[in-house]
Amino acid sequence: MEKQIKRTILEQGRDWFKSDRKVILARVIQTWGSSPCPVGSNMIVNDKGEFFGSVSGGCVEANVIEECLDLLKNNNSFKQLEFKVSDDNAWNVGLACGGEIKIYIEKINS
Amino acid sequence: MKLEILNEIIKKKSSSQNFALLTNLTNGNSEIFEFGKLLSIDFENYKKQIENYHSLKKNGVIDGTQIFIQNFTKPIEVIIVGAVHIAQYLVDLFKNLNFVITIVDPRKFFITYERFPNVKIINDWPEEIFKKLETDSNNALITLTHDPKIDDPALKHALKNKFFYIGALGSKKTHTKRCQRLKESGFTEEEIASIHGPIGIKLGGKSGPEIALSIVSQLVLESNKLLLNSKK
Repeated sequence: MEKQIKRTILEQGRDWFKSDRKVILARVIQTWGSSPCPVGSNMIVNDKGEFFGSVSGGCVEANVIEECLDLLKNNNSFKQLEFKVSDDNAWNVGLACGGEIKIYIEKINS
Repeated sequence: MKLEILNEIIKKKSSSQNFALLTNLTNGNSEIFEFGKLLSIDFENYKKQIENYHSLKKNGVIDGTQIFIQNFTKPIEVIIVGAVHIAQYLVDLFKNLNFVITIVDPRKFFITYERFPNVKIINDWPEEIFKKLETDSNNALITLTHDPKIDDPALKHALKNKFFYIGALGSKKTHTKRCQRLKESGFTEEEIASIHGPIGIKLGGKSGPEIALSIVSQLVLESNKLLLNSKK
């Protein structure tokens, strides 16, 4: 029988890095109200915009990926992102649940 | 974050260790924390708070600082006695949860790699196995054979070593007899009552996968209670 491999989010990041992709780790560092993913939830993103894992159950992922790609473009190494339901773009990326989250994104360096 | 830290986390996770990842949110520096380890200049001033958060398994930005701590905790080790078909469904359901599984059964034809391709299996009597395995309150026991020769020694070991969860498959009648035998062996009412028997939360199902689901649900419930109590 074929061996099943449960690849974790971090292992996916390591493997992308090995195959010369640029890799960014996004982690939930603070939450207020009802946020779907607890502190410590993480997601790994590469320079093609591919991702694995989750930081909000689907509400803000698209925006986080965009921010990750911007981080690479601007050659920065880390940034904090905040999402609130009262954001101007709430209809697009806000948290429908009414919660707030702070996400920390950082580039993986050799 | 440096690649070497990422690699270290992956390595430590696979060897089931307790540790934490610290990140200084003002300069982006990260490092691994374990009890007794010296901290670099980025974190040494917050050692007490870091230790406190780590022992409470609390993730977050430490109050009044710009230090983020993320804890990685040793998974609960589940010992399943009885390589029966419910055990196969259990393995499937446990796959995405933070549990490490060992299946034991003295019956050779039940406990094969073909039936359990990705799990640790031991073909021996529980009595013999427990002489070698190190166990404590981080362990859970699930007995599935409902054969006293196989299940009882495992249950006795788990009670003596204060496993945080003990569940035994079998009807109410089987369980009543089991309790009687344990009483005769000198276990107290309270100890015996800590065994979940018949095992599982009531889902109303009778099929193998449904019984397995009810067992996994109960174990997850109990392990979350444990975590909540440790935070109080």
